[in-house]
Amino acid sequence: MLTREEWLPLARKLDWDYTYVREDEVFPQVISGHPWLPHAEWKDWEESFKTSYREYVDNQYEKDMAVYAVRDAIGRLENIQKLAAPWMNSLKVHAAALPLAEFTGVIGSLRGARFGRDSAWRTMSTFGALDEYRHTQIPLLIFHPLVRWDSQFDWAHKFYHTNNWFAIAARHFFDELTLGQNAIEFAIGANFVLETGFTNLQFVGLASLARESSDHIFERMVTSIQTDEARHAQIGHPVLAVVMKHDPEYVQYLLDKWFWRSWRLFSILTGLSTDYLTALEQRAYSFKEFMEEWIIDQYLRTLDEFGLKKPWYWDIFEDELDIYHHMIYASAYTYRATLWFNFVIPSPAERKWLRQKYPKYWDDMDAVWEQVAERWRAIGPGAANELAVHGTAMPTFCDLCQLPLSAGTPRNNTAKAFAQDGRKYIFCSEPCQWIFLREPERYANHKGLVKRVLSGEAPAQLPNLLTEYFRLTPDTWGKDVYHGAYEWLAAQKASTT
Amino acid sequence: MSIPLYGFLEGDTVGLLVLAEEAETVLDLARKLQDAANIRVAYKDRIDLVYNGRAVDPGLTVAQAGLQALDRFDVIWKGKL
Repeated sequence: MLTREEWLPLARKLDWDYTYVREDEVFPQVISGHPWLPHAEWKDWEESFKTSYREYVDNQYEKDMAVYAVRDAIGRLENIQKLAAPWMNSLKVHAAALPLAEFTGVIGSLRGARFGRDSAWRTMSTFGALDEYRHTQIPLLIFHPLVRWDSQFDWAHKFYHTNNWFAIAARHFFDELTLGQNAIEFAIGANFVLETGFTNLQFVGLASLARESSDHIFERMVTSIQTDEARHAQIGHPVLAVVMKHDPEYVQYLLDKWFWRSWRLFSILTGLSTDYLTALEQRAYSFKEFMEEWIIDQYLRTLDEFGLKKPWYWDIFEDELDIYHHMIYASAYTYRATLWFNFVIPSPAERKWLRQKYPKYWDDMDAVWEQVAERWRAIGPGAANELAVHGTAMPTFCDLCQLPLSAGTPRNNTAKAFAQDGRKYIFCSEPCQWIFLREPERYANHKGLVKRVLSGEAPAQLPNLLTEYFRLTPDTWGKDVYHGAYEWLAAQKASTT
Repeated sequence: MSIPLYGFLEGDTVGLLVLAEEAETVLDLARKLQDAANIRVAYKDRIDLVYNGRAVDPGLTVAQAGLQALDRFDVIWKGKL
């Protein structure tokens, strides 16, 4: 009888030398990735979370049963309805963004399962694909039934099927990272950068916020998902180690590209939940503190371990930690009807907390919130007044990340207009422009929302854009959670009259 | 003819698409951006419109100032440049 340590290499190292086909026919570079190397260079590929099929099935069964047990005990509608209204909207963000993105992870993992260059890599990717399918179904199982109570939860399935601006940005990201990617770039971009780093932010940091918010079903769900991520993320390290020996400049580029692109997306997904949609007394950390603890220290240590440099844009990134998601949130609040979840204005106490956590630029953000609050004071609260406290002009979007042109600071927006081959582009930031210029053939033909409106492909009038193109309705489009009826706002108004 | 432009108002959190008319003045264009962003940024009387790094004479028309489709312009507090 073999021991576990004897069995695992026997069960996972399964390649033979091809005689009747060429190796590059089995693993074409276009889909296995650059650099193309003979299997001799990959044969020692190994990762630390070795598992067998039987262990995998046993563990996943236990984890699923734990999630179901919590759902059955406290996941009923009456439990969900007790959650704070702002937090509920954080759930709507994740209910929409998570499940189908995880399904794209199935496709990316299956590419590794077929075109990864060693059988141990392919074995782990096969389990990774099963993981991602689990991560698709669990949030759908938990969130989508809530549509019977709140129609905004319909977006748990609908989001990626729309041309909502955030869906365009998310598809632009996941189509490239997971659906259309070769096995090597997927391993480095998704397994190494996204899963080793950023999913910690989402699944560990956010899990602690969920616990503080008494949302134990969400906490259990994301914690359970993270145990899978921690395992299949290990695929990235050994792939990176092999590619480093042959093309370190390419590795540096992939890391710098995917770190930036992941930062853009996660600063919105996690940043808004952490600093705005969690009740003040339940915020253990700010988003910046989460980033510093869960991403930056670990990422820089890992770069150092591989002899890689910090991304060239590190100073820009560090500056954005203080401001980017605040710019996005304030912009999104004033265009909340373009999204499928509801927003709150930070109260004076929350603004004081935000000033303490983000002193560098908060004065400028505070002026924006004062102006928004002033509009509610002037108009008066009420659902009927929602659109009177809302933007009317078309917001603009980056031609790389497809997110609003909200980078920089209120005093100095860093958007860069640029012309190439007779076409005009605009980028929110220098790193987004840099990524575009490294691979223009990949990005140049994508038509952003502004160009779709200008060409007549999308309606120019905001109400038509919302209903016909974003597939929102007056019931589902985003509103102020309290329709402007804040006690602090009423008190301020009373004191000035 | 309308010219779509990317407008950035000092103090704002997002760039906006502004449709300018060739014959309207630069000052009118700047006010148009201020109106569009007023939900987030309080109105200021003394402003400059900046294009290609230089403050533009507010009396010029959009066509005279040379603004073309999908260019960026900024509206800043006067005297900051």
